[in-house]
Amino acid sequence: MKDLTDRLGTLFSLGDITEKRDDLAFVSVAPDLLRAVITHLRDVEGFTHLVLLTAVDWIEGGQFQLTYLVHNRTRARDIGLRVFIDREEATMAGIHDLWPTAATYQRELKEMFGIDFPGSPRIDEEFILEGWTDIPPYRRDFDTKKYAEETYFHRPGRETFDPATHMKDKLYPGEAS
Amino acid sequence: MTVQDVLSPFTAWKNLFRDPVTVRDPLTERPGAARYRGFHKNDVAECIGCGTCEAICQNAAIDMVPVDGIETKEGDSGLRPQIDYGRCCWCALCVDVCMTGSLTMSNEYTWIDSDPDAFRFVPGVDHKSWDDAELGYHRPDGHRLTPPERIVMREMDPERRIGNFEEIVDGYSVEEARAEAERCVACGLCVATCPAHMSIPDYIATIREGDYEAGLKLLYETNPFSQVCGRVCTHKCETVCAVHHEGDPIAIRWLKRHITDQVDRDRYVDIIGRPAGETGHKVAVVGAGPAGLTAAFDLARMGHAVTVFEARKHAGGMTRYGIPEYRLPYDALDADVDVIRAMGVDIKCDTPIGDKVTMTGLEKDFDTVLVAIGLHLGRSTRIPGSDHPKVAKAVDLLRAITDGETIDVPKTAVVIGGGNVAMDIARSLARLQKQIHGEVGMTVTALEDFSHFLADPEEVKESFEEGIEIFDARGPREVLVDEVGNVTGLKTWKVVSIFDDKGRFAPTYDEGDERIHVGTMVIEAIGQAADVALLGEALTEKLEWNRGRITVDADGRTSEPWLWAAGDCVNGPDVVHAVADGHRVAASMDAVLKAKELS
Repeated sequence: MKDLTDRLGTLFSLGDITEKRDDLAFVSVAPDLLRAVITHLRDVEGFTHLVLLTAVDWIEGGQFQLTYLVHNRTRARDIGLRVFIDREEATMAGIHDLWPTAATYQRELKEMFGIDFPGSPRIDEEFILEGWTDIPPYRRDFDTKKYAEETYFHRPGRETFDPATHMKDKLYPGEAS
Repeated sequence: MTVQDVLSPFTAWKNLFRDPVTVRDPLTERPGAARYRGFHKNDVAECIGCGTCEAICQNAAIDMVPVDGIETKEGDSGLRPQIDYGRCCWCALCVDVCMTGSLTMSNEYTWIDSDPDAFRFVPGVDHKSWDDAELGYHRPDGHRLTPPERIVMREMDPERRIGNFEEIVDGYSVEEARAEAERCVACGLCVATCPAHMSIPDYIATIREGDYEAGLKLLYETNPFSQVCGRVCTHKCETVCAVHHEGDPIAIRWLKRHITDQVDRDRYVDIIGRPAGETGHKVAVVGAGPAGLTAAFDLARMGHAVTVFEARKHAGGMTRYGIPEYRLPYDALDADVDVIRAMGVDIKCDTPIGDKVTMTGLEKDFDTVLVAIGLHLGRSTRIPGSDHPKVAKAVDLLRAITDGETIDVPKTAVVIGGGNVAMDIARSLARLQKQIHGEVGMTVTALEDFSHFLADPEEVKESFEEGIEIFDARGPREVLVDEVGNVTGLKTWKVVSIFDDKGRFAPTYDEGDERIHVGTMVIEAIGQAADVALLGEALTEKLEWNRGRITVDADGRTSEPWLWAAGDCVNGPDVVHAVADGHRVAASMDAVLKAKELS
């Protein structure tokens, strides 16, 4: 993969490069360079297939990471582009004009993380979460357990015991503390 | 519409006689992948019922339930996880966090039943066809959600510490303590094992939150000797810590100490809270050690007037006169005693029971009396030569060192005993030898071999580091005295066995394996007894006894209605046990005093 990342490096300003395997590497690029780099990969380097577009919530650093994974069918190798965007104003230029399937990923990211891709087809329509009213559920500040407790009922008959209290009842019931 | 549009559907006919690319069937076998996250399995013998799986489950799919045939005991709540598959999302966080590795997943995922409640069961208890499945998700090696390694406690180097009595352990910094506290999963299995049942997970949580005042308040609710126990507790809690199954237990003792270190001592009494209004009842406590002072602390907080009679110059009992300063600095002990005094407890030091104050007098002048006199009389081996003036008892020497008395420090000395007291006196004398003679000349001879040693492993390790020689499995036979009457050493034989078939103490020796340990002084550290002479003959006659110890019930009451007994003198030596005893006695006395009001 070094041949490829070297060539990319001469054309674009790249961030961290991680060689995972002989046929898989990840490269960090600035948000405003993403479209240029990925178009170059598609049209010049033969990475014609968009494998996936996904996100990670780095809540401690106040950033979302977007990962664009593209595949070169003839050389049978993949490259992932990592883009870090601000978590508070989570907006990114879409790539649905380069790959129409990207629109579906972008719609999913809008719903699950709240990352907007202005102009992406049906971006504001519900994807799988019908009638969702809480913050996007893949954001790490979403309290899954609290939501589950508030939203879904327990099957009747469920009962749980706190280990420390149960041990007190069994082993030293009369004592203080 | 073109001609091609019309004809193209018919081009599909050309595929009519080709082999299909799809697989024929419905499939009969549809095995999950090797690491598929299917229905759970639980090795219930390995599981300790800590409930960490329940705590991490984001879908509230797990309940901890009692199970027939699994007993609640120290280190095991007796509960086991029951999973509601109507809620489980198969994320496997419960498997990843499991403290013992008992919870895993099979690769089985197909199961049909018309009863929805069938999908709620206790894996490993309610038997399923996949219980023996080898495939399925297991936590990968090395993948841990909680760090298995303890934050290292910094200590003074042996070279720097041997010449003085400064505290060896540094204590954690705020960052270190928080990192250590982060490792705790707050299961609470430790609480049952702590004799004082301290609210361990709750006070560890205050370290994570940085709320030390809340932590201090929690500590003193169950332990007025928190500064002492933060340093020298026997920390049995750590032996049942859920983390110890696959890593180092949480450093509970050091975290307790950290909380006490972080709060300004002037703030203690305000945080702990003032006592309740006066009840008019008077309680006497004999002995200002952990048991007596804990009872005094509780009783004073309940509003009773408590007077403590202490024979020695200072309060603290064995924590002051038995434990050397390098393990427990006096100012930490003084701070705990000051808190107890601030609750209104009147501690009268230098006031032995005997001439001026008698038990009969206490019975007359007070509503109830507690005897918590510890174990201050050293036992003797009674081997030939043990009555020589240069043969000393460890407790007597430790007391003399604490009181700052000048002692004749020998260049070489031999200690008989393998417990913590033996280590304490050996390490204390080693420090004095270093100061006076410039080098250490201490030998310890213990009956037990190293695999059955009584002293804490860290005591043994640190003793070796300080240049003390330890000989294990050596039985003392004779203190050797030369022709002019000076002690020259100790003769020992190799120990073959310590106990007989019935478990009674009856050591046997290999006479052929004899050693002479050189020393001009021999110190016996083989156990202590309570100095019960102070009770007086009449009371001694009236009380019930069991093998030299006063018989007490579960609340510490003796056979005399006005008298309670607690601490080392009834239970044997252990600080935190004595604290727990003090609480029990205080609760029992309070109930009796309240009942008196009603009658």
